[in-house]
Amino acid sequence: MTYTNKNASTLARHSSRIKSQIREFFDSQGFLEVDTPIMVKIPGMEPHLSIFETKLEIPSTYENQTPQALYLNHSPELQMKKLLARTSEDATFGKIYNMAKVFRNGEFDSKTHNPEFTMLEWYRYDSDYNEMMTDCENLIAHLTKNTTNTASKAQLSPHFTQNTPQPENKNNSSHNLTPSTHELVYQDQKIDLSHPFTRKTVNELFIEHTNIDLNENKTYKQLKEKAENLKLPINSCETWDDIFFTIFLNEIEPKLKAYTKPIFIYDYPSSQAALARKSHKDPFWAERFELYIAGIEIANAYSELIDEKEQRDRLIEEQNQRKNLKKSVFDIDEEFLNSLKSIRKPCSGIALGVDRLIMLLTDTKSIEDLLLFPITHILKK
Amino acid sequence: METTTTIRKGLAINFKQGAWLIIEAQFVNPGKGAAFTRCKLKNLKTNQVVENTFKSGEAVELVDLLMQKCQFLYKDHEGYNFMNNDSYEQFQLTEDMLGDDGKWLLENTEVYAMYIDGTPVSIQVPPKMDFRVIESPPGLKGDTATGGTKDIKLENGVMIKAPLFIKEGDMVKVNTEDGSYVSKAN
Repeated sequence: MTYTNKNASTLARHSSRIKSQIREFFDSQGFLEVDTPIMVKIPGMEPHLSIFETKLEIPSTYENQTPQALYLNHSPELQMKKLLARTSEDATFGKIYNMAKVFRNGEFDSKTHNPEFTMLEWYRYDSDYNEMMTDCENLIAHLTKNTTNTASKAQLSPHFTQNTPQPENKNNSSHNLTPSTHELVYQDQKIDLSHPFTRKTVNELFIEHTNIDLNENKTYKQLKEKAENLKLPINSCETWDDIFFTIFLNEIEPKLKAYTKPIFIYDYPSSQAALARKSHKDPFWAERFELYIAGIEIANAYSELIDEKEQRDRLIEEQNQRKNLKKSVFDIDEEFLNSLKSIRKPCSGIALGVDRLIMLLTDTKSIEDLLLFPITHILKK
Repeated sequence: METTTTIRKGLAINFKQGAWLIIEAQFVNPGKGAAFTRCKLKNLKTNQVVENTFKSGEAVELVDLLMQKCQFLYKDHEGYNFMNNDSYEQFQLTEDMLGDDGKWLLENTEVYAMYIDGTPVSIQVPPKMDFRVIESPPGLKGDTATGGTKDIKLENGVMIKAPLFIKEGDMVKVNTEDGSYVSKAN
């Protein structure tokens, strides 16, 4: 039972401040903020996303007057990786970040979705997803440290508490920002923000909560039989991934709320990570993680796939999936594939939902309460 | 049996050998996955509340549910007594059948009763209701640690959190789904 009818102007001040602090953090870490377009000719190929489409009118000075179909970007990741690929010649783009609106059609009627929302993405040349986990820990430490350390700021945001006073941390290296002792209260739940956050593989969670070892159930038939033996309802699931998600959403995700620390869930099935590098140990798994705090999915990261040929195959696979799902189908982004050829070292990247993070930091129950103009205000149920 | 693929709040469905009312339905999509609908379901016989996530487009069997406007009359040691506004028929539901909803009922409160095969099984209280405040301690100025709220008591005996400016005797609008304060009522 919570009182969420918070003053809109207070919340707007919190939001603005948190966004400044996000920029402050990345600037201090030597990242470059880059702009990426909202409208793109070829969006990413994620099979399940619905994309907003628009038309670019061509001025009469052009020979070809046919309007160009453009799409509202659902993530700037292809553009970010094209920039990252320039690093081998120009170190400027070795550490980049971007905070921009992204668009996903049909995604609302939920506490955590609005069809347009603010996404923070950052990328590192010469790194892997482990470094992204450290970045997440440090970013959250920075956002909570600055809000708690002075009395006036603490008053602005009553939702942070601190166990012990912390000395001003002067060390800005990416690996040693804090020994954080912060905690955060979200909807009456205490979250321990001390480092390190919990880390568990997807398979560890499946074994822990359902007794299913996915390593022994890698085919549709195996997983279906196993789930049926355990009496898990998977009636209308037609693919391995459908069963996976149905079990994850019913048996695992609801239990993530019980974790008192933020949790990195890592190593996802490769079928759910088309832009991520496959694990060296077992290519069934890919180096992808998601960060959950208080049961809310906050961020999604990869060790980036940089093999041009493998990336092409997987984009084609996703293109086919989009055809089968009757979603609009896009061309393969040749410029993107081409750019991968110039990447000489492993890279990593992450997308973090800024609105959701602000909800957590301000103890706001729903994205609708946070946004000044949520989509639901123009619709009546 | 009739089926539907659009799972919505307010529908009654057959699930795990029982009749369940969908009391909350939310869009979810796991990262990189298809769309799902996460539901809170209330068992129409036992009032047990469970969560289940259905794949969007999954066919579910509908329960034939009739909703009729009723009035709450009084509570006695056997349970809650209602009258059907159309037929004037009176019926009783036990405390177990109403579960937590019972606490919102004041004499003459209008609710919807749900009938399965002609038998009333449960009620639906209005999502927002007005109550008089009977106890409201003076709030402490500048007490921001509590987010500017205090505990108040409503005429039905329920305690809720409300802003500091709410006084004894005020009418307040309350969300009956989670017991949260909505606004001051006129």
